[in-house]
Amino acid sequence: MLNIHKTREEGRLEFALDGRLDTLTAPQLETEVREDIENVKDLVFDLSYLTYISSAGLRVLLSAQKIMNRQGTMVVRNASEEIRDIFDVTGFSEILTLE
Amino acid sequence: MTFTEENGRVKIALEGRIDSNNAPAVEKELMDALEGRRGAPVTLDAEKLTYISSAGLRVILHVKKLHPDLVITDVSPEVYEIFDMTGFTEMMTVEKAYRVVSVEGCEEIGRGANGLIYRIDQDNVVKVYRNADALADIQHEREVARLALVLGIPTAISYDVVRVGESYGSVFELLNARSFSKILAKEPEKMDWCVREYVDMLHRIHGTLVPEGRLPDMRETAIGWARFDQDYLPKEAGDKLLAMVEAVPHDDHMIHGDYHTKNLQLQGDEVLIIDMDTLAVGHPIFELGSMFNSFVGFSEYDRSVIEKFQGFDSTIGRAFWRKSLAAYLGTQDEARLTDVENKARIVGYMRMIRRSIRRGGLDKPAEKAEIELWKGELLELLGKVDTLLFEREETAETPEGDLDIEAVPENLNDVLAYVDRRLEAVDCPMKAQMQIDVAVEEIFINIAQYAYHPEKGRAKVRVEVSEEPVTVTITFIDRGIPYDPLAREDPDVTLPAEDRPIGGLGIFMVKNTMDDVTYEYKDGSNILRLKKNL
Repeated sequence: MLNIHKTREEGRLEFALDGRLDTLTAPQLETEVREDIENVKDLVFDLSYLTYISSAGLRVLLSAQKIMNRQGTMVVRNASEEIRDIFDVTGFSEILTLE
Repeated sequence: MTFTEENGRVKIALEGRIDSNNAPAVEKELMDALEGRRGAPVTLDAEKLTYISSAGLRVILHVKKLHPDLVITDVSPEVYEIFDMTGFTEMMTVEKAYRVVSVEGCEEIGRGANGLIYRIDQDNVVKVYRNADALADIQHEREVARLALVLGIPTAISYDVVRVGESYGSVFELLNARSFSKILAKEPEKMDWCVREYVDMLHRIHGTLVPEGRLPDMRETAIGWARFDQDYLPKEAGDKLLAMVEAVPHDDHMIHGDYHTKNLQLQGDEVLIIDMDTLAVGHPIFELGSMFNSFVGFSEYDRSVIEKFQGFDSTIGRAFWRKSLAAYLGTQDEARLTDVENKARIVGYMRMIRRSIRRGGLDKPAEKAEIELWKGELLELLGKVDTLLFEREETAETPEGDLDIEAVPENLNDVLAYVDRRLEAVDCPMKAQMQIDVAVEEIFINIAQYAYHPEKGRAKVRVEVSEEPVTVTITFIDRGIPYDPLAREDPDVTLPAEDRPIGGLGIFMVKNTMDDVTYEYKDGSNILRLKKNL
């Protein structure tokens, strides 16, 4: 289960994720990101309530990062210690801007 | 002391106490009575014997010496304890007196092939055997229940044999238990939960290997049914039925034989299976046949039958059967379900026809019509089904049972739930738990997406936990195309985002978070094993 709370203000788009980001739920997030990412200057992912992430979730973050590298900035916030570990193992800590 | 003789066996009734005060007198009396009959079989009726001391036991030993065939009957529990403590029960046959129990006004909570189960008080139930001379049956059920328990099947074992009217009963402790039939009847919204527990237990039973010769072989029994039915079927159909049953291979895994929801009990949060006297070994199709009968077959002609028997109606019965079959096979594919259901129906009808005919059903109009209905269905099925076998993975040998599931991404949560349940027993830190979940997801999804593409297939998941150091081993087995995911080159995780490929991360994560990952291809199976030290 994944709940996606989306907040849009002018050039800023924030996704607050609640639940699990895995093979089954990642396509939902991918669709949401694609639909809204155009003209976004600041993209934020708030992971306060994200309990789990697998490679399918990482792929969504990576493709968002690739787009934002061309058109603005992207920040990933409030990842739990366990999720940070996964970012570390996969080298995502180097690619993403973690806060 | 009274003394009778029947067919050469001398019967002597003992009375009161036998201790050092009267032992010499009792001995003299006995010896006088047995004078000139040396070697004759003797029965000592202990119904009125209230106490026996060691002096009395020596008298009995003396009798045993002169009359090796010595049986002591109707022994009270107190006196039995003396015989038991002193080892007499091993030297000679000592039969207990049976407590008398009445089941008048008691609730019937279960019903099996050989008897009815009543609750006699809050903590105890008694199974009353239909057969008046049931001691051998009781002994058999006790033995098989004990065997099942030792092999890891949660069941209740009787602790006492009692007289109930003209029959015998065996008493079990069953605290505040409710049968699944009752739950389904009163709370049909719990159907899915019931299905899950029911099928879990079924997998557990079918995953249990039974040492050879300990339980009857269901295949032999079913061949007997087919032979019986041959006389009532057109020759071609009868021959085909017998050939199909004979073609089912021998199988040493356990089957319950009467697996319906009255025999599954919820005691606290523990699920127990009772009524073990039909326990056997065999191919699961025989179990499915009797399950079909319990939920559908017996009430196909008269729908009220199931209500009387299970307490819920035929709609619930049919839904429960179909959902259980889907969960058992791990598929929602309607065509596959119907295919296996048809095989189960053949076994079911074959059995019911024999049962009803043997009970004189052909002489009673309503029962004859029922037999005709079953026969019609059976003939139709025999026209289109050619084998009773169905595809299934080899069942696990562990009592816990492996997960055997269709490898499709939609089943990911079931796989994770299964793994997490197995990990409950160990104290798994959050970080390791997440790493294990991620690894399980990556491997299972890999199998689901590639192993059988574009077809579908199954995967087996096994979780083993070893102690000192605590290590979790998770094994994935599939029969798809040979593929070693570990052979794939690791992605360069130091590249900037733009140059990062989008794939390959999953396996990389598995390799880097688990302590050991191995792959082998053996006997047509991909076997991938993950190890994590906790």
